[in-house]
Amino acid sequence: MSESGRPVTQTPRTIGVPRGASAAPQPASLADVLDRVLDKGIVIAGDIKVNLLDIELLTIKIRLLVASVDKAKEMGIDWWQHDPMLSSRAQGGGDSGQDGSGGEQDRRSLEQENQELRARIEALEAGRG
Amino acid sequence: MADRTGRYLYAIGRGIDEEEIAGTPGLRAAPLRVVEHRGLAAVVSDVDLDEFGEGGLRRNLEDLQWLEDVARTHDAVVRAATAFGPTAPLRLATVCFDDDQVRSRMDQWHAPLVRALDRVDGRVEFSVKAYAAQPEPAGQAAPAATGPGAGAAYLQRRKEETLRREMAGQDAARDAEELYTVLAEHAVAGRRLQPQDPRLTRHEGTMVLNAAYLVDADEPFADTVDGAVDRWPGLQVEVNGPWPPYSFATLEEQ
Repeated sequence: MSESGRPVTQTPRTIGVPRGASAAPQPASLADVLDRVLDKGIVIAGDIKVNLLDIELLTIKIRLLVASVDKAKEMGIDWWQHDPMLSSRAQGGGDSGQDGSGGEQDRRSLEQENQELRARIEALEAGRG
Repeated sequence: MADRTGRYLYAIGRGIDEEEIAGTPGLRAAPLRVVEHRGLAAVVSDVDLDEFGEGGLRRNLEDLQWLEDVARTHDAVVRAATAFGPTAPLRLATVCFDDDQVRSRMDQWHAPLVRALDRVDGRVEFSVKAYAAQPEPAGQAAPAATGPGAGAAYLQRRKEETLRREMAGQDAARDAEELYTVLAEHAVAGRRLQPQDPRLTRHEGTMVLNAAYLVDADEPFADTVDGAVDRWPGLQVEVNGPWPPYSFATLEEQ
């Protein structure tokens, strides 16, 4: 028997510049646990047939964890395309949706901006006339 | 009515002592048992098939709270099993009808299971995530610019902002790639997992790397990460572990 007898314990730590309270890691985040127990490990069919990928999970968050990138795109889950860091298409941060509501939000903010600009042009033209 | 209990499989390993692991509660506080077969030991507990049968699972997996409870218990049992020797975690919700069915799976998959256990023997998994610092949200409020050229200046500003974001994104992706490669030199194996949704991580930065490494148990991997990250000041790096070797004790990499 090797050193594998060492029990596994969680010793999370964050390295780098702390960026506020949100940087504090959870002992084992639910996302990390689900990443592993749903998607990794030994996959052997038991007597109970369950396809974790087929299940219509209510929460889209879980779907994100189990879906492949391509499958997620098929389903319209593409939050990263609305993320300013990952895509130039995205504008601003915030809660960009993965079901198209992010695009909707982008459009809305553009429309609002458009209205404000029109108002300013009107005001400027009125000032000159 | 027939027997409405099944055997939930948590992990298959070697040398797992039933009395010792009994201190860890199974799902719904059921006692853990060990099914031994041909040198392998499966950790199981009885589950109610109303809850863990096909209908029950289909229903319950929709429930995030249920899923979290089961996932965390599953993980805790797998961790307990790693104290005895190399451990291959089963995927969540692997349920057989009885111990004979568990043994038949151990027969059927014996050789690949042995290989998977050999691969992770004396090794642990570490998670390394890197986040890119968020760029300053410039141009939030429209400045009170007036007169000719204000519109052009506005458009120019938007263009520059987009360009700046693109470049920051490219830098972060390149940094993450370098980090992944450098750390892989200290590991037996590495895998890239899907970056996690920012709302799940509750982290303000964008995750640019979600990696898993298989490392020797005596390798000071977290210290290695600690010493390496200064090279990439644009990244915030989070190392978690040791984990059971979820990402490496797999059957498909034969």
